[in-house]
Amino acid sequence: MRSPETSGVRAWRWLLENELRELSASRSYWLLILVIGALVGHALMTSTELYAEASGIGGGASALSQGLSPLEGIVVPTLGVYDLAATLLFPFVVIRLVASEKQSGALSLSLQAPAAFGEVIAAKAMALIVAWLVAGIAGAVALGLWASMGGHLGAAETSTVVLGHVLRGVLTIGVSAAAGALAASAASAAIIALTITLGTWALDYVAAARGGAIAAIAEYTPSAALRVFEHGELRVATVLILLTLGSAGLVCAAVWLQDGKPIQRRAISLGAVAVVTVLVCLAFAQIRASRDVSEDRRNSFPRADETALRAIDKPLRITVNLAAEDPRLTDLERGVLAKLRRTMRRVTVSYGATSRSGLFEKQNDQYGEVWYDLDGKREMTRSTTQPIVLETIYRLAARQPPTPSDDKPYTGYPLAARATLAPWIFFLVWPLCVGMTWWWLRRPRLLRIRTFGEQS
Amino acid sequence: MTSQPTFTPRQSPTKRTGVIRVENMSRRFGAFWALQSATFTIRPGEILGLIGPNGSGKTTLFQCVAGVTPASLGTVTVDGSSIEPSQRKHALFFVPDGIRPWPGQPVSWVLRFIAGLHGATDASLTRAISVLGLDPLLGARLGQLSKGEHRRVMLAVGLLTPPPLLMLDEPFDGLDLRQTRDVMSVLRAHRDEGRTLFLSIHQLGDAARICDRFVLLSGGRIAGEGTLDELRARARVTDGGLEEVFLALT
Repeated sequence: MRSPETSGVRAWRWLLENELRELSASRSYWLLILVIGALVGHALMTSTELYAEASGIGGGASALSQGLSPLEGIVVPTLGVYDLAATLLFPFVVIRLVASEKQSGALSLSLQAPAAFGEVIAAKAMALIVAWLVAGIAGAVALGLWASMGGHLGAAETSTVVLGHVLRGVLTIGVSAAAGALAASAASAAIIALTITLGTWALDYVAAARGGAIAAIAEYTPSAALRVFEHGELRVATVLILLTLGSAGLVCAAVWLQDGKPIQRRAISLGAVAVVTVLVCLAFAQIRASRDVSEDRRNSFPRADETALRAIDKPLRITVNLAAEDPRLTDLERGVLAKLRRTMRRVTVSYGATSRSGLFEKQNDQYGEVWYDLDGKREMTRSTTQPIVLETIYRLAARQPPTPSDDKPYTGYPLAARATLAPWIFFLVWPLCVGMTWWWLRRPRLLRIRTFGEQS
Repeated sequence: MTSQPTFTPRQSPTKRTGVIRVENMSRRFGAFWALQSATFTIRPGEILGLIGPNGSGKTTLFQCVAGVTPASLGTVTVDGSSIEPSQRKHALFFVPDGIRPWPGQPVSWVLRFIAGLHGATDASLTRAISVLGLDPLLGARLGQLSKGEHRRVMLAVGLLTPPPLLMLDEPFDGLDLRQTRDVMSVLRAHRDEGRTLFLSIHQLGDAARICDRFVLLSGGRIAGEGTLDELRARARVTDGGLEEVFLALT
């Protein structure tokens, strides 16, 4: 007699457990965990050393305390290891889980499971997300060590960086699962995944020189998207687009792995997924909602200025005649334009310079000028500093600059201490823990077959 | 393995399948037709053998019927109702030949997973382990098993699934004489419980010992269908075995 009809939830639970066991049997995953621990430890030691020096541990003059933010001094460089892992290591774990199923023949059994094939892929995705979160333990230990040293961690800004890395992992899962499904072998899938990564790097490079539509697309490459979170900005569009792209990869994998369907039909379905993904991403990109969660409000103007700028309802057009690699453009982007985009509803920025460095622009052109156009009135300034640009905008809007608000200034968190425990934790305890866990999970054992009913 | 195994996986038989009709099943790879207009019937509660030499299209036919490979043409109907490939998993379960799934997992987990996934009871699971002699293998990983041991595990996987039709591709390949005889007993007992079996076999001697009826496949075409006596009559072979009949019809 069979037990009552296998429910979808129950089948999914078995599928998920099987995927988790497959991951725990994967040497590549344990290698990932091991390497991440070492890299996180090294990153923590390096960043705390620099932070301590800037805080005056060597007896020299310390940096201004306002410049000592744990977000960019500790959290971003330490967790930055996960970007490296998501780019170069994690794809292989994902590909192994998908491609090996094809090669071993397990796929033919999975296709006959009493669950929709989408659920089979969802179980894989969930197992991989769990695996990525488990890999995050090393980062959590590092941040815990920093806190135990007396270091400050802003809850909101730290959580935002963590969220960025989780979403980065989801994107890697989607892209690598699609590659694993489409390619004939794991090796080919790895090549596809790395080619996509290189492609996004190339896109970043090209976008830096061009601006316009390419730059708009490049905002959502893995590196650029992660940078938003690392700057302490929680941007709704970035979150939704990363989730969409990751999910689209999984849907592509689910479509392509269904060998029982004719290849033409699967190809058409893939095309439909691609079109829908692009349309959804375009729609999400229109969402301007974002929140500056950084403690030093690095992504925001002073509150009084924000109120004044929001009151300007006319569209503001800015023409920047600065080359992509000109450091003044970097200052202008970070210090002014990014904040303006967050604050004002209708801001359009166009880039007039055509060269990459600006060194060889024609002498008679307008290189270095930044034009502001508001309601038919135009004004030019070569300054890239925030107060001057804001003054220009207020003049164009015929408004008085607001009275400076009494925002509490960011005081910074200097800490002159070294992470002396880090080498022991990450180069001795961590590998031991990883090795013992691996051994414990792999040890020969019999499952309690005869008492199976008690467990299910 | 026990010398006289019996397999009774269910206290009440699974609902029997209706008459399954495979019609016009064809599969083309480029200009090459690996399977051409294969039409035959699978009757409820029988052991039907798909007989043919290597390369005759047996596996392709199985894959197309199971819906894990798209057929270029053809349908599968149950009691006259056509079943889409994506829905065939409710009517049949197919254990392919040559697969080595989950090589890093212990046998105990794989069987428990399949049983749990498909809703088999713990009694079914323990019986499958017992009749196929898998007790000594439970702690071993699938990747460490010999061909014959792996074959028995895959057979247990098939026995633990609920669809009324079980399709096994080369179920005796890799088994020794005693194991083959024991597995045949297990399959007959399984048939007696009400399940329909469709076996792809290239060893004619094995096929003659276990199958109730035969579908002969040669060069991607069906060369004959029926019991041995029916095939003898068609081939005009008075007292020959399956081998003579096959040679006469192909």
